[in-house]
Amino acid sequence: MHNFIVLLLGEIERMKKYGILAASLALSLIWIGVLHFTEIQDVTAFFPFLIFIDTTSMAILLVGATMFYEKQEGTIKSLLVSPISKSDYILAKTCANILSNLETLAILYLYALFFKEININIIGLLGAVILISFFHSLIGFLLTYHSRDFTELLMGMVKYAFIFMVPVILEQTGLIKNLLAKKLLYLIPTKSSLTLLQATTRNFANWELFLSLLYLLLGSSLLFLFVRLKFDEYAVKGGGV
Amino acid sequence: MFQVNNLTFKYPKNKDNTIKGISFSIKDGEIFGLLGPSGVGKSTTQRILIKLLDKYSGEILYKGKDLKSYGKQYYQEIGVGFEMPVHFSKLTALENLNFFKKLYRSPADIDKLLTLVGLDEDRNKKISEYSKGMKVRLNFVRALLNNPQMLFLDEPTNGLDPKNARIIKNMILEFKNNGGTILLTTHLMNDVDELCDRVAFMAQGQIKEIDTPKNLKLKHGQRKVAVEYKDEVIKTDSFDLDSLSTNEAFFNIIKTKKIITIHSGETNLDDIFIKVTGVENNA
Repeated sequence: MHNFIVLLLGEIERMKKYGILAASLALSLIWIGVLHFTEIQDVTAFFPFLIFIDTTSMAILLVGATMFYEKQEGTIKSLLVSPISKSDYILAKTCANILSNLETLAILYLYALFFKEININIIGLLGAVILISFFHSLIGFLLTYHSRDFTELLMGMVKYAFIFMVPVILEQTGLIKNLLAKKLLYLIPTKSSLTLLQATTRNFANWELFLSLLYLLLGSSLLFLFVRLKFDEYAVKGGGV
Repeated sequence: MFQVNNLTFKYPKNKDNTIKGISFSIKDGEIFGLLGPSGVGKSTTQRILIKLLDKYSGEILYKGKDLKSYGKQYYQEIGVGFEMPVHFSKLTALENLNFFKKLYRSPADIDKLLTLVGLDEDRNKKISEYSKGMKVRLNFVRALLNNPQMLFLDEPTNGLDPKNARIIKNMILEFKNNGGTILLTTHLMNDVDELCDRVAFMAQGQIKEIDTPKNLKLKHGQRKVAVEYKDEVIKTDSFDLDSLSTNEAFFNIIKTKKIITIHSGETNLDDIFIKVTGVENNA
């Protein structure tokens, strides 16, 4: 536990020093711009979509960015010969990511609260962001394992967005109406993610909430075990040790 | 400290074994040199010993226990000095060391180490502002950060000027004198000569020779003495070392000629490197 805290604090410090938090903050300002320039005064329905895009895509990118820095500077080698476990390493990165996503959430929520109208279950939203960010940070690990450089990771993230994020947004905006297609969306994690976020603004059927929650909890657990299992392979191949 | 028996290793994507059944031991308190040209399996052997690679066959005992039975706590006892820089470039040297220091149970005195390697005044500089030599010295400090009992060093003086190389070599010797054990990988045969108690030469994934530098030089050298002297013109004669005490011609030259140089036929480690591994030492 002690070394997990050391690693987490180290992650946060490096996210500051390497400008990763600043980039995340800059993106928050862009989202504020989006909120500001929409004509909508009540952003309740729109808000989960912004958080959805930020929590999923930024979680993937932030993990990738920190891991590629470690690879580039050789610090992964130094970490690998330190008395830390794979779980400590993976959890420290995912938790640092979650904190960054929560920072964005706080900024956007405060803006919406003071300058727009918003009616949202903030506690529920916090829980949803933590779970979604955790899941997608682990997706970030997997994409990084299979990418040679940051550009390849970006390409992987774009593919993920096209395959998993766009269909869910299209369905929510009413562009996908086919019942079978709608049902098939329950197979992908982004559907569960958006459902949990939207459930903080409107009512959903209990079974749908339960299914989404179960999907992400179970998915995160399995993904964590898989990321942990594949870590050694990455360390030898990607870490250049 | 280490007993390695019939160690064999193959990278998953390779057809052949990188390490082909090597056996050696590293005694407590010795400096053991692992030498050989690039690609012969030195680094792989070191990676296995520092538990970065674990799918090997054969047996490795550390302090009499199977290396595989050690968990992450193993890293409380060993220090690893990498050849290439391993520090966060946007953090200062002190920030880097403080971060890693917190991971250990009994950390070393950072101030003392930085002073010893001459980086005390640059402790608050970012690593991106460090020269190559400064990064090499900081790598050495990183390796000593947990007061290790066993030190793995890969080219510890590579890229250092003679003054700083001397400082690092003295620190290595001091570490040994305090009871520490070291596995040293280097291409610099002068360092090997100066530091190593025993060396192993590797080629094609196997250990070709293993002995003390002194014994290797005697084994591969010629038991001859070459005398260069002035006799109207400069001449050189060679005499058998074993019968030197009864060699009249030798004594005659010594007594009557002006001697310019006398050399025994002892070879050097560079020549042994080439002879044993079959490859020029290009480093």
